[in-house]
Amino acid sequence: MAWNEPGKPGQDPWGNSGGSSGKKDEPKEPKKRSDQDIDELLKKAQQMFGGAGSKFNGGIGGIGGGAIFLIVLVVWLLSGIYIVDTAERGVVTRFGALVTETGPGPHWHIPYPIESVTKVNVDRIRTTEIGYRSDAQNRSGSVLAESLMLTRDENIVDVRIAVQYRVQSAGDYLFNVKDPDESLRASSESAIREIVGKNSMDFVLTQGRNEVVALVRELTQKNLDDYEAGLFITSVNLQDAQPPEQVQSAFADVVKAREDRERLINEAEAYANRILPQARGQAARIVEEARAYRDQVVSRAEGQADRFTSVVTEYKKSPEIMRERLYLDTMSTVLSNTSKVLMGAEGSNNIMYLPLDKMMGSGTGSNQSTLPLSPITGTGQNSSNNSNNSQTTSTPANQAKSETNIRDYLRQRELR
Amino acid sequence: MKAVIGLFIAAVLFIGSNSLFVVNEWETGVVFRLGEIVKSDLEPGLHLKTPFINNARTFDRRIQTMDSQPERYLTGELKNLEVDSYVKWRVSNVERFYTAMGGDFALADQRLSQIVKDGLRAQFGNRTVKQVVSGDRVEVAENITRLANVEATQFGIEIVDVRIKRIDLPRDISDSVYRRMEAERNRVAADLRSLGAEAAERLRADADRQRTVTIAEAYREAEQTRGEGDGQAAQIYSKAYGADKEFFSFYQSLNAYQESFSNKSDMIILDPSTDFFKHFNRSSN
Repeated sequence: MAWNEPGKPGQDPWGNSGGSSGKKDEPKEPKKRSDQDIDELLKKAQQMFGGAGSKFNGGIGGIGGGAIFLIVLVVWLLSGIYIVDTAERGVVTRFGALVTETGPGPHWHIPYPIESVTKVNVDRIRTTEIGYRSDAQNRSGSVLAESLMLTRDENIVDVRIAVQYRVQSAGDYLFNVKDPDESLRASSESAIREIVGKNSMDFVLTQGRNEVVALVRELTQKNLDDYEAGLFITSVNLQDAQPPEQVQSAFADVVKAREDRERLINEAEAYANRILPQARGQAARIVEEARAYRDQVVSRAEGQADRFTSVVTEYKKSPEIMRERLYLDTMSTVLSNTSKVLMGAEGSNNIMYLPLDKMMGSGTGSNQSTLPLSPITGTGQNSSNNSNNSQTTSTPANQAKSETNIRDYLRQRELR
Repeated sequence: MKAVIGLFIAAVLFIGSNSLFVVNEWETGVVFRLGEIVKSDLEPGLHLKTPFINNARTFDRRIQTMDSQPERYLTGELKNLEVDSYVKWRVSNVERFYTAMGGDFALADQRLSQIVKDGLRAQFGNRTVKQVVSGDRVEVAENITRLANVEATQFGIEIVDVRIKRIDLPRDISDSVYRRMEAERNRVAADLRSLGAEAAERLRADADRQRTVTIAEAYREAEQTRGEGDGQAAQIYSKAYGADKEFFSFYQSLNAYQESFSNKSDMIILDPSTDFFKHFNRSSN
């Protein structure tokens, strides 16, 4: 208990404030022996104050008074220690007046009631929501009165933003504006409406989103700076920018219509992609067929011409024999392939009845044999087509078809 | 004796506490002497005054918010708008604020609200909805700030800022706005759809045209090619057959006979007097 000793002789430097009673005593010391009443009075005072005057009393009572005083003093002084968290700033005021701001770490201030400290979290990101409120489960409920706003073209849009901010200056935050957080809220609400009001609905809902947000931030920050509110907006997030619920379906329909347009165009493109290669193929076929025909005709002509040339060469050597032989060859070939009736009807007028139909009927494919006589009819199938066509005074396409048929038929004849 | 000392100490404490007062950082202090203001705009901190004769009061010097209820205002074209505004103000002259408002903040709010509403009414009456919504919002606010400040100064108040928070259409008008928006969207949707149909039809028609043209061109080429072949063939034939016209005719006829009568069912009725049977006849006779 070393600290008791300096207290004993009354020279304790800590006892300065307590020493005020001691000072009062000192001028009265000479009277101590002469006036017992006063001495007694002083003793009582010493007991009351428990202060540095204890040396007159000596001993135990003095030690007790000084100790209590010192304990109280130390406790009082220790109460001035405070710790500022990393995220915080301490604002120290002396009798209400701002003294200093302290950073993170342990600090000491003159204890109450002289100085006091207020800690403000300057790193925490605070959020205010406009147009909606989200609860702890992050479910958000809309506040239509806040979120519905007018655009320049007198449309109504539903805009929700979240403003994130932090305290920039703890002193300003505490002392300049009454309820700075609410001020920020009102200010940003005013700003978003101002910006939305300056722009068209389409702009706000589509490409203007980023710009709107940037302007809100700028405007609100400027406002807060004007108030010296000590707040700094870290970000403004556009949570939602939508047409109001009442017209959502119409807006959705526009999106659908846009898709429909794309779909129709795609379908048409698909159609084009389908028929054009087909047409090109068909065209190639037509051309190739024509080339084939040309080459065929020419080759045949060459063949026939060569054949004839060869025969002529031989014919020139002995015309009569050649002629006779050729004639007989042909006749035998022809006659061996056909039914024949020899009639020695020369000179007589006998009318013979020949059952031609029976004779014809015995041969199969009689129908076919007659067909080549008719230039219009081709194969059996085609002829039925053609008869149909002639009856129904055909569409141009059919006509073209029938023309093709005729042409095909003629071609076949030529080839034969 | 104890009681005397106790009283003495109590008196000291009482007087001490009455002669000291604290002005906080967010406040400003005023000292009165028997009701009369002797000192104002006291800085924050500890101050002294004479007990009993002087008394002190502190006033909030921070920026206050006067947020009034939304009100209806008529615009120049006689449309109603619901406007929610707020006023940021602070005490600028404590002496005057004390004399005019009795230092009562609620009363100040009320008075400011009247002034600002009046100002807003005048400003809105001169403008169209479009102007207040999009263009002149800031100008309106600035005008009111300026005008209201003239009156507010008399109360020892400075209006920092008047802001229009919300400008909304009344409910029934909102509904017709929604209907208009809907109609507008329907128009856009119809427009998009028919544009799509148009584009699709164009594409189809173009494809059809291309197809027709492609085939027609192919037909042209085909006919040209055929003609070419026919021509060449004719040339070849005439060159070869020109060697002996009479024989060609004979030879060709024979070929034709062979081709014509190639079917078993073909029937030929022959006269024995023909050249073919000249030997046939002779032997039978």
